[in-house]
This record gives sequence, C-alpha cells and structure tokens, in this order.
Amino acid sequence: MIDVAWAVDHLDDLAWRTVQHIFLAGVAVAVGFVVSLGLSIWVVRRSRARALLLTLSSVLYTIPSLALFAALVPVTGLSILTAEIPLTLYTLVIFVRNILAGLDAVPADVIEAADAMGYSRRERLRRVELPLALPLVVGGLRLASVSTIGLVTISGILGDAFGGLGYFIFDGYRRTFPTEIWFGGIPVIVLAVVADLALLRLQARLTPWARTNQPIDPTLTAAARAGAG
Amino acid sequence: MSTAERVVFEHVTKRYPGTGGGQPGAVEDLSLQVPAGAVCVLVGPSGCGKTTSLKMVNRLIEPSAGRILIGETDVMQRDVIELRRGIGYVIQQVGLFPHQTVAENVATVPRLLGWDEARRRSRAEELLQLVGLDPARYAGRYPAALSGGERQRVGVARALAADPPVLLMDEPFGAVDPIVRERLQNELLHLQEQLAKTILFVTHDIDEAIKMGDLVAVMQVGGRLAQFGAPDEVLANPASDFVARFVGADRGLKRLALLRVGELETTAAVTAHPGDDAADPRSRALASDVPYILILDGDDRPIGWVAAAACPVSGPLDPELATAMSPLLDRRTTLKDALSMLLASDVQAGIVIDDRGAYRGIVTADVIAERMRPPRSGTP
Repeated sequence: MIDVAWAVDHLDDLAWRTVQHIFLAGVAVAVGFVVSLGLSIWVVRRSRARALLLTLSSVLYTIPSLALFAALVPVTGLSILTAEIPLTLYTLVIFVRNILAGLDAVPADVIEAADAMGYSRRERLRRVELPLALPLVVGGLRLASVSTIGLVTISGILGDAFGGLGYFIFDGYRRTFPTEIWFGGIPVIVLAVVADLALLRLQARLTPWARTNQPIDPTLTAAARAGAG
Repeated sequence: MSTAERVVFEHVTKRYPGTGGGQPGAVEDLSLQVPAGAVCVLVGPSGCGKTTSLKMVNRLIEPSAGRILIGETDVMQRDVIELRRGIGYVIQQVGLFPHQTVAENVATVPRLLGWDEARRRSRAEELLQLVGLDPARYAGRYPAALSGGERQRVGVARALAADPPVLLMDEPFGAVDPIVRERLQNELLHLQEQLAKTILFVTHDIDEAIKMGDLVAVMQVGGRLAQFGAPDEVLANPASDFVARFVGADRGLKRLALLRVGELETTAAVTAHPGDDAADPRSRALASDVPYILILDGDDRPIGWVAAAACPVSGPLDPELATAMSPLLDRRTTLKDALSMLLASDVQAGIVIDDRGAYRGIVTADVIAERMRPPRSGTP
C-alpha cells in the first residue's frame, strides 16, 4: 500500500516542498497580519468603516479558493501573486475579527486611566491597547496560520511551481498513487499542528500577566510545593 | 516636592446635546474655589454632575462654558497631555494596567515624563512604602494577584508618582468592602497630613464626604451646587430642603462625630483635695447644677466624685467616699463618644483632662446641646 522506497527516494523533494509551503503560508500570514492590523486600528473608532471592513472580509471568505486561484490567472498570470493574493485575502477575516475583538476587550477603566495619566493616542495604542489585545491577536494568528497552511495545498492547482506540499497531493491524485498523497498530506497536518503549538507558546511568553495560575506569593507557593512534595 | 495649587471653578457649565437642561451628568453654572492643600468633596445623588465636574479639571470632559483654573492658569489654555501628567487621577475601578507589574504601573507618569529607569524604580518603591505596601513583596506582581484594597493603594501610589499639585479621586473607595474602605479613608487622611495636596474627591456617600472633606460641595440633579462649605456648616445649616434631606435626619448625630471636646467651653466643677475641710465644697456643690464634689490628687488628677448629699457636713474629706466616677475626656474625644459615655455614667459630667491627665474642667450634656444648637439666623 505505502511505497516506502519511493518515499525515501523523494525526501529531497519533501524538504524543498516543505520550505516552499512554509514560505507561501508565511508570506500570506505576514502580509495579511500587517494589512489587517492597519485596517483594524483605522476602523476601530469608525463604526461605518468598521461594518464595511467586516462585511467585505467576510464576503471574500465565502469565495471558493479554487475559483479564486483560477480567476486570478488571467490577471496576474502564473506568478507568485496569483498564489499569495487569495491566501492573504482569506486571512483578513480572521485577523480583522480577532484584532477588533482584542481591542474591544480592553477594559474601559484602563483606557480612562491611560488617558488621565497623559498618554497620547499613539502611546496608548502601543503601550496599553495592543499589549492587552495580544491574547486575542495571537489567537487570530494561530487560526490564520493553521487555515493558511491548509489552503497553500490548493494553490497546487496553479501548477508544479506552486502548492508546496500540495504538489504531492495533486500529483499523487493524477497518478492514482496513494503513497504520494500521504507523503504530501501528513506533513501538512504536522506543519499546522507545530505552528499552532509554537504560537501558543509564544502567546504564553508574551502575556505573562494573563496566566490564571499566577502565584500570589512566589515564596509561599514554593514553600507550599515543598510541603506538598 | 511640588506645592499644592488652588482649583477654581468659574461659572462652569456642561450641557450635553439633546433636550434642554437637566440631563444626567450636566453641570450648570458651577462656581467654587478650593484653596491649595484642601480636600474638597463633591457629593450628591447619581446624575448630579459631580463626576462630570471632576473630569473637566483634567479635560477628560471639556466644559461648554466657564473656566477652570489650576493656580492661575485656565486648564483649556494648557496642552492637554502635559496638563494630565500634572494631575493625579484615581478611579473606583482603579484602572491598573493588567499587563504591567505594580512597580511599572506606579511609574507610569514618570515613564511618560522620560525619567530614567533607576529614578523610576526608586520612586515606585518610595511610593509603595508610602501607601503601606512592601516593595520587596509587591513591586514585581501583576494587578491580578492583588486584593481590592491593595489595588486601590497601588492606584493612589500611581496617581502620586510625579508629585502632582492636584489629585482627582472619583469614588476611589466605592468598590471595596466597608472595613477596607474605612482603613483606606484613614490612610488617605493620614497621607494628606504629610502631602497637603489639593484633592477633589467625588462620592455619593455623605458620611464619607463629611469624614474626608475640609470642604463639602453638595450637588443636586441638574448639576447645580446646592451648598458649599465646611462639613459642620453644611450639617448645622443646610441651605435648602434638598441639602437637609440629603445629609439625613440624623445630621445632628453626624455633627457630633465631627466636633471634638476641645471645641467646647468647659465649665468648672466643685473640686477638693483629700483632707480638705468638707464644709465649703459641700455647700457649693449643693448649690450647683452638679451636686457632687470632684476629688483630685496631688497632681490634680481626678480620683472620683463624692455626692454632696452623702458628704459629712464638716471635717476632712475622705477620698474613700469618692466612689462615683464619670468618663475622662481629652480634647480630641469626639462629642459623639463623649455623649455616649456620659449617658452610661454615674455623674452626668465628663471630666476633661489634659495630656498629663490633670483636671481642666467638666462637660455636661447641656454644654454639648448648647454647642449643637444652630446659630440663630442674623448672627454672624
């Protein structure tokens, strides 16, 4: 069923397809994040622009990916843009929703205190609102990464130069060769899981204050642990 | 240390767009002057505009008309960011930054002002000490690991960080339990003795207002100032039915808690020392309102009362006869405590003693009642 010899023979291909996969997903997530962050900050206090952005990003998300890749070919040809534009657009709805939710979740009393201390708008955003929005923002990053890592596979429809690990899946399907489908499919899952866990770690690192089991008194906890042990 | 500055409201009005006057939070032609170093409490029912008035000082809300001066300067003439960095601000929900440690929270304004790291840290530690939190234990914690009372202390420390001349406090102790509230109030009063900041303090609790304020501004719905004066004056002479109702039917008792024995004119008791001849003091005591002789020791410290009726007509006074006692009061005893002790004592006269315990005079319920009587209208 599984042709191990073939798999071992193609480990080189696997390596560079994995790199390509990470590159395609990484660019889309990074560009999507930066664009969404800018847009979200701009619309956060503008209710009409905000509603428009939310609607637009949701509508984009409903376009089938296969159709979008195909539709772009006449416009951008078989360039990297043809792969990256849809991948990026699909991250927008996730990022925009999460970043806005994160900014909305900053408590009103904290904003009031920041204003009263004499923060300017920009400093308040940078030092208070964005740090406090971080848990939800990183949540969006995790969701967008997992979703994009999956979607990169579909860009294989554009040809051998795209698709990352998806190349193996399309090729295996064409040749009715299940080994190759698994050969591409399983690493995609592994990539998604690894990215998710890594970002979860990053979030814990970045938001030490949000730990629910924060010790009330470090010395006391250490003593209690020693007592329990 | 920066010095405190006066805060002056001159015909300050805040109207919100909509239906005419009387919206909650509106303020109508508010004029008052808070001298430098005084605590002024803005008190009134919800919607009376007290918080709006407070927030117009640091321009979280901007007045529709009128001026607010800090020192000699109209707040509207100053750069808003710079203005706010020079005014301490404490709110009920505290508003600590959850992602910053206690020390970072306290050093917020110093950081905005560009102080270097070492100076910020030493200032934060100094302030934590000042509000009764051990820096070694608290500096590195996040707000989530603090109790309500501890958070409020950090909030006060943060407000004081850059040593502002003016402090605004919006129901700062409204969200903590009554025992902690009482303690925080006392700590703030104690702190204020050293700091002497100009403090504007908002509360809806008249008891808190009376306790904390050098001056009390009672506001009523519609944002009108109903009365402005010292707490005792507001309690003794409410300017309107509204103020009388607001301060409560027990305002007399509240005044008792506010006044101290030192403010009373004491009267003289009939006194004698052990061994003195009984005849003269006995006849004088029988003729007085308090038919007792107060026996004092060699240092004039009270031993006890001898009932004139039970006293031998003549011969040396025996201190053994001085079996009745009455409360010892000093000048700091509140009239409320004095009266309550009097009601439970054998002789209806409190003995006022000085710091060495020596007799200075007596206080009777009549004297207290006389002090409580509001001055007749027309008298200055």
